[in-house]
Amino acid sequence: MMRYLLKRLFWMVPLLVGISLISFLIMHLAPGDITTTEAAFNPKASEESREKLRKLYHLDEPVIKQYGYWLERMVKLDFGNSFASHQRPVFWEKQDEHGNVQKGLIQDALPVTLLINVLSLVLIIVAALPLGVLSALYHNKPADRGITVFVFVGFAVPGFWLALMMMYWLGVAHNWLPISGLHSLGHEKMGWFGQLWDYFRHLAIPVFISALGGLAGISLFVKNGMLDVLHQDYITTARAKGLPENTVVYRHALRNAMLPLITLLGLSIPGLIGGSVIAESLFAIPGMGKLFYDAVLMRDFPVIMGILTIGAALTLVGNLLADVAYAWADPRVRRGVMH
Amino acid sequence: MPRALCIGILLALLAACGSNNAPPANLDAAFPPESGGTMVDAMSGEPSGLIPMIAGESAASAVASHIFNSLLKYDRNLELEGELAKSWDVSPDQRTITFHLKPDLKWADGQALTSEDVLFTWKLVTDDKTRTPYGADYKLVEKAEAPDALTFKVTYGQPYAPALDSWAGLQVLPKHLLQGQDINNTPFARNPIGSSYYKLDEWKNGERISLVRNDHSVLGPPRIDRLVSRFIPDPASQFLELMADNIDVMNLNPIQYARIVPARPQLNKRIALYKELGNGYTYLGFNLKHAPFDDVRVRRAINYAIDKQELIDGVLLGLGEPIAAPYKPGTRWVNPQLKPYPYDPNKAKQLLKEAGFEDHDGDGILDRDGKPLSFEILTNQNKQREMSAVLIQRRLKEIGIDVKIRVLEWASFLGRYIKTGDFDVVVLGWSLSLDPDQFSIWHSSQNKPGQFNFINYNNPQVDKLLEQGRLELDPDKRMKIYHEFSRLLLEDSPVVYLFEGYGLPAISKRIRGIDNPAPPAGIGWNSEQWYIPTPLRRTEISDR
Repeated sequence: MMRYLLKRLFWMVPLLVGISLISFLIMHLAPGDITTTEAAFNPKASEESREKLRKLYHLDEPVIKQYGYWLERMVKLDFGNSFASHQRPVFWEKQDEHGNVQKGLIQDALPVTLLINVLSLVLIIVAALPLGVLSALYHNKPADRGITVFVFVGFAVPGFWLALMMMYWLGVAHNWLPISGLHSLGHEKMGWFGQLWDYFRHLAIPVFISALGGLAGISLFVKNGMLDVLHQDYITTARAKGLPENTVVYRHALRNAMLPLITLLGLSIPGLIGGSVIAESLFAIPGMGKLFYDAVLMRDFPVIMGILTIGAALTLVGNLLADVAYAWADPRVRRGVMH
Repeated sequence: MPRALCIGILLALLAACGSNNAPPANLDAAFPPESGGTMVDAMSGEPSGLIPMIAGESAASAVASHIFNSLLKYDRNLELEGELAKSWDVSPDQRTITFHLKPDLKWADGQALTSEDVLFTWKLVTDDKTRTPYGADYKLVEKAEAPDALTFKVTYGQPYAPALDSWAGLQVLPKHLLQGQDINNTPFARNPIGSSYYKLDEWKNGERISLVRNDHSVLGPPRIDRLVSRFIPDPASQFLELMADNIDVMNLNPIQYARIVPARPQLNKRIALYKELGNGYTYLGFNLKHAPFDDVRVRRAINYAIDKQELIDGVLLGLGEPIAAPYKPGTRWVNPQLKPYPYDPNKAKQLLKEAGFEDHDGDGILDRDGKPLSFEILTNQNKQREMSAVLIQRRLKEIGIDVKIRVLEWASFLGRYIKTGDFDVVVLGWSLSLDPDQFSIWHSSQNKPGQFNFINYNNPQVDKLLEQGRLELDPDKRMKIYHEFSRLLLEDSPVVYLFEGYGLPAISKRIRGIDNPAPPAGIGWNSEQWYIPTPLRRTEISDR
């Protein structure tokens, strides 16, 4: 097992280098760089000052050489600084020689994105498990049909539209929930419970919208897994033993049906750091989606590469974790891995 | 059942804790001016820093303008007046300008603000190590000196007319806090100390900036205590926040202004709409190096074929003005004799015929030497520009010109097409500075890649006028020069002026003291005089 793990970890290195190289090249295929977008149409900005910037950021050199510079820094786990005029560190806070600390861009954006995605994943699983089980138990009956229609409507409804409708209905028409942002204006003066409640109220719509779209996939996954398992011989055996139906369904069937879900959860790990640009713009949440999108529009190469690299690394780690967890949960797979 | 109960309790809790800011009934009553209160507005972007010469984007200058002062400023009628300077003199040879500072100026931290600070700021903006795009104007200064604490003197190599405007644009920074620091990367950018009405209170990354009254303000105290700017990128969300009374100020688009607000009496009761002249115009520009746009008859024909009023009505819902010169309407730089090209398709066809374009093969498209008159209009992802392009496409089709439209992402548009000069026709916009000098846009020397005369306009007469205009400091003589320049520009038609849209601010009626109708400088010119009567203040944010 250990050797297998080490082998997998070792192979991640060339994979990561390959992914980052391809990302870097594709990024440079798009015309323009930071100097075309910053102060682009300000008649007071001179071309000379832009040339100066281009030199400073090595943008006048061949792409492959620029990749070399980037890789050199990455080896030291230095994600670099943003090209934007604030020049903040891409990943985590850094201290300069005067002792001033600058917070990293990803450091700022990641917690809220992670929070929303984790909450919405929890919400999805909490809702999808009973829905999936019910659908399987009442297969092809009205309950199953109703659930399927519901989850697919949730999947198909454009998120931005539903978000705007909910913002209008809950925020404007009834004034029950805040419309956008993360904190109310008086947030600092609230007690800890008040602050928590304030967070909850601000995150309610974004988390709901984000969860609704993901419900269909997971609930159908659970349903199909359950349908497969319910027709297995050991379920018949369990019933024949005279076990109560609840024990059959939840202890014997659901546990086995949930195995494939582990893979799915592993694969959703990289997704946890990705935010939706549209949702974040609508709700004015300063998360990862907006950070990435703005970086792309600005051609802020270090930020784009930083997010892509972290995403790629998490994808590889997620895959590995899924495989390991699967092996741990299923003895048959474990034996396959050992040999 | 328990689940239903839970949901019921949850909803009840939500309702109970919802901030209940029902508008007070007396929003239309008159109140005397008083100090205090908080005004909340929305911005679509977050500043990258609060040193305006480094940050550059409009969000930064909007916030920084509340914190820093310049030597000069524009008054309500867009005439220059002193801000930090009490007065200024121009030497007889027009090369030297001497600014006399007001006495007893202070930074927000209580330190004295002197001409040394001005000199320091000038050194910063002209330093090659400073990463600012705005150095060019100030590098023309040959000698800058601060002979005493209240005098700042600059000498130019030759008279430079836009100089005064440039000193209204340079916000003075404190020497005692910035000396020896790397201006490109200093914590001061996120924690500035200025001299104007407000100082920074709190900056929550990605969420909001709060400013609070500066007791040492060199211009006297403002009436409103706190300004909060929330960063809300999406205009629809901004509008919902305005409807819910969570923000006091936002800029509307024409549809919100002309259709949505008037149709909602509830909203109308709480919100006042204002209209001010915009600071920019939208145009259709030709690449004058490409045939057939090198032929002035073709450019004029297209100008005649475009119905500007139709664009204003269709794209801006009537909330704009046609223009005939690249200046803000109502200012002295606009030549009153010039009129936009009227919509006249027959004249357009006749001009095209003179240029040799006729429909020889009967396919409905004009052609010359077997080549059809057909081109592509490029524009960026901007709804108003896209809609304009579509209306233009139809009008040009009617006179036999085949137009395709291509909408591009901004950086690709600039990097791949504008910079390389690889385009026929573009729809774009120019913003307008208050100084009439437009050397960098129209002078024939400014057409290298990355420069702003990317349409390759070249008229020796115009070049000469632009050069003269920079040397002439006498406003009346200068005005004549730019009137003549505008006339030649209109005649040559290197661009078709499409429209100038109004700025459309919507402001809660709790904010009082706003100049209406808006003076030329816009409603914001006296925002320090705005006030919020106590009974109308928000209840949920009491002052600290």
